[in-house]
Amino acid sequence: MNQPDHSIFREWLNLEVDGQLPDERRARLEDHLSSCQECQDERRDLLRVHRILERGRLPVRADFRQSVLAALPPTGWEARHPRAWRFPAAVLVLLGGAAVGLLSVAHSAAGGGGRGGSAILGALLAIGGLFRATLLAGFGLLNASWKGFGLVAGDLFASPLTIGAFGLLVVCLNLLLFSLLRRKRPVAAEASRRTPGNGSRLG
Amino acid sequence: MTRGTEQPTDEELVAAVLSGDRDRFGDLIDRYQGRLVNYLFRLLRNADDAHDMAQEVFVKVYQVLDRYDPQYKFSTWLFRVAQNAAIDQIRRRRLKLVSLHQEDPEGESRDWDLPAPERGPYGELRNRERGDAIQEAIDGLPWEYRELILMRHTAELAYEEIARLKGMPLGTVKNKLFRGRQMLKEKLRDFVGE
Repeated sequence: MNQPDHSIFREWLNLEVDGQLPDERRARLEDHLSSCQECQDERRDLLRVHRILERGRLPVRADFRQSVLAALPPTGWEARHPRAWRFPAAVLVLLGGAAVGLLSVAHSAAGGGGRGGSAILGALLAIGGLFRATLLAGFGLLNASWKGFGLVAGDLFASPLTIGAFGLLVVCLNLLLFSLLRRKRPVAAEASRRTPGNGSRLG
Repeated sequence: MTRGTEQPTDEELVAAVLSGDRDRFGDLIDRYQGRLVNYLFRLLRNADDAHDMAQEVFVKVYQVLDRYDPQYKFSTWLFRVAQNAAIDQIRRRRLKLVSLHQEDPEGESRDWDLPAPERGPYGELRNRERGDAIQEAIDGLPWEYRELILMRHTAELAYEEIARLKGMPLGTVKNKLFRGRQMLKEKLRDFVGE
């Protein structure tokens, strides 16, 4: 058997152990193997390399699956999915149904007709009043905040002494910030020196 | 869809997850966790890092699962994400893929253990030696062969998947795997003869 044939059969052996060799070639390989001890040894060694690589596998932690599932965050596509809207939609329908039911009960208790209509109007006006009260409370709070801020600013800029003290405070805070930035710079420089460039090859 | 006891395909599981069945993602984890953790372990050479990164990869894939294109294999996509994450990590940490027991620039000697299926003190020692030898042999391969060997033997990707993932012709993948195995065989000569 000449050398080039052996090299071809060795390539075929690699494909064979991976199940990638076509049937026609496999038949030719088997035919060759029956009379070539060297290629039989090659096949045996190749299968042993496969087994060695199989044996050196790291077992996965028992809780790995659970830890991954627990770490899955809510995603954008989940929120867009119709199933995500089922629960809120069901709650809305339920609330609507309950409201209709309550109004019907109120209507029948009032004896129907004009009195029932005025009860519904009264309920709507009450809800409107609730919204109005909430808005007024919000505006009041905002107004009070602005007034408070105005008082503080008025006191602060009332005399040159307070203005000076305020200026000094600002300067001190800036100096503190500057010193912190200067302290962090050598660490950043060290880190960038340690990081290999993007073009660095692995291995 | 699948019938009877037939296992659902990856694409069917992804479709089920996307339609709101979050538990089916657990089936995908079951299917790939062993290969993914071991693939990352061979690249990062640290069991904790491999587990942490495998978790990150699964989470990353889940977050963009709606962008998965079923015309490609899920495993190709998963291992592409894993490979990119591992390479980023290696670059960040300046982890050098050199021989075992070699001191790093800080002067620390690192040792890498593999599981020991053989029992008893001699079996433990033999397994440790074998585990070290396997890692050393893999680390000793040039990167272009090493990554293909890991994709084939550890990630168990098909030739076509490797070719797609690496953007190589199929013939080049076959050739590199052949050469890589020949190198491995030489490096593991002592253990191949067992």
